[in-house]
Amino acid sequence: MPKAVTVYVKWIDAFNRRVGRIAMLLIYAMMAVLLFSSITRTFFDTSFIWIVEMAQFILAAYYMLGGAYSVQLDSHVRMDLLYGRWSHKRQATMDAITCCFLIFYLVFLLAGGVSSTEYALEYGQKNYSTWAPPLAPIKIIMTFGIFLMLLQAISVFFKDFALARGKAIQ
Amino acid sequence: MNYELIALLMFSLMMLMLLTGQRVFGAIGFVATLCALLLWGEGGMEIPFSASFKLLNWYPLLTLPLFIFMGYMLSESGLASDLYRMFHVWAGPVKGGLAIGTIGLMVAISAMNGLSVAGMAIGASIALPEMLRRGYDKVMVTGVIQAGSSLGILVPPSVVLVLYGMIARQPVGQLWLAGVFPGLMLAGLFITYIAIRCALQPKLGPPLPKEERQISLEEKIKLLQAGILPFLIFFSMTGLFLLGITSLVESSAVGAVTATIAAGLKGRWSKKLFEDTTRKTLAISCMFMWIILAALCFGAVFDGLGAVHAIESLFLQQWELSPWEILIMMQLSYLLLGMFLDDTAMLIIVAPLYVPLVISLGFDPIWYGVLYTITCQIAYMTPPFGYNLFLMRAMAPKEITLTDIYRSIFPFVLVMILGLALVMIFPEIALWLPQWHYGQ
Repeated sequence: MPKAVTVYVKWIDAFNRRVGRIAMLLIYAMMAVLLFSSITRTFFDTSFIWIVEMAQFILAAYYMLGGAYSVQLDSHVRMDLLYGRWSHKRQATMDAITCCFLIFYLVFLLAGGVSSTEYALEYGQKNYSTWAPPLAPIKIIMTFGIFLMLLQAISVFFKDFALARGKAIQ
Repeated sequence: MNYELIALLMFSLMMLMLLTGQRVFGAIGFVATLCALLLWGEGGMEIPFSASFKLLNWYPLLTLPLFIFMGYMLSESGLASDLYRMFHVWAGPVKGGLAIGTIGLMVAISAMNGLSVAGMAIGASIALPEMLRRGYDKVMVTGVIQAGSSLGILVPPSVVLVLYGMIARQPVGQLWLAGVFPGLMLAGLFITYIAIRCALQPKLGPPLPKEERQISLEEKIKLLQAGILPFLIFFSMTGLFLLGITSLVESSAVGAVTATIAAGLKGRWSKKLFEDTTRKTLAISCMFMWIILAALCFGAVFDGLGAVHAIESLFLQQWELSPWEILIMMQLSYLLLGMFLDDTAMLIIVAPLYVPLVISLGFDPIWYGVLYTITCQIAYMTPPFGYNLFLMRAMAPKEITLTDIYRSIFPFVLVMILGLALVMIFPEIALWLPQWHYGQ
């Protein structure tokens, strides 16, 4: 493998890991927001209009920013009816091919995200709700998460490709 | 080319992509995007993201990561070992007693968590080795754990019913209550099956030896205390929600916090516990969420094709089926698809097609939610594709082979189909409790 590829894989993996390690803490933020809402409503009889959407935004950031790290952790299920019976090399060969399909999906997901974010920024799009927060920030976060996922998928492709040729990237 | 043919092609292409062994979300997302582009050209480009954005309006989905978090917390908290010991001592003296006790344990865990993962992990790590050591048949034991843990999605709280509630636009409170009696009934059927089988073939599940039964009644009653903490967790979550004190998502957060506190009370807090729980929660949540994202995209394309009407006209006009025949057809198609397709994706793609039809035929959507969930349980267990199968394979000790796992589920699937039929024939099993609770 050319040096550039090795460096790319190393850097992207390290960066996505870092982002994912931070994103995984958002579960505590979700808990805190929801706990805050149930306590204030039950004991102080006040409710806040921003809570529902805030929790949803945190959830979106959670799985978008954590997505690439979850791929690194190899937590995504596969149908292993045939796959499970193949040798590692054969698995890697097939993965290298089908990873292009994954990249195809992510490219269009990203393209849609970018154009949707542009729209939100240009027209100051707001959510249809009483709180009516601007949608641009969460769209930017989601699009960034998809971008990281795409970078990770490309890194996975390189790793599978190297493995299929019999020379794994460390 | 007519739309039905396109829909059929999409499904076949998806199956083919899944067979390649690529990550499920990638396989589904690719087929959906490709079809969107082929059908609508540049206009189809926006579909993947705009379909994903729909998730932001699915507020109840917040329960998913919180339940996953809670499940890991519970399985590490040591609560389950105490509970297991209680069932072990109380049910042990009977033939097949440990297996019966394990079903009891699974019901208790199901009442604390909305997924089958927690039950699976606890069953495989605590109950399985104990039963194997005492000479229980390995095929029997494996089946018991898989069937028992699948109750996690039927006995409230249940994430599957939350997802169904979002798609069918039905209140989750009613759905959860509707799951109570069918869940207990299934547990009862499992126990009956185990008891009869072990009475006929005592070798499969021998009673505890005499020397292990020498436990005074006083001590036995003391063991019942193990039930207190789980009950508090159940109450803080499902209880407060049904009483209307906390909202659905709030209750899942309360549950996650209570489970964390329970782990602390048991002295299990450690850096490793939090690190593992947090990391695994992210990994499993992301797996589910990305599958849902891709499936939503697939569903959006399907919707654009007018698949709802296509199915309706196929069942009603072309095949001229009666409402009950349609219902049975739907369950059969779920079972068939569930064997090959990822179950979460199946729910997102197929439920929007079926639910309007169910309602227009005059069936109760709450009742149908329960039918759907039982079918899902079966799909979780049937090879070649099922989450419980995956988990079992990953967690089972080496002496249990893949063939054992496949063989083990067979009798339990039959029992579950019997249960499904019972709920279909007697809808009151599901509907009595929600009607009673909300009718007051």
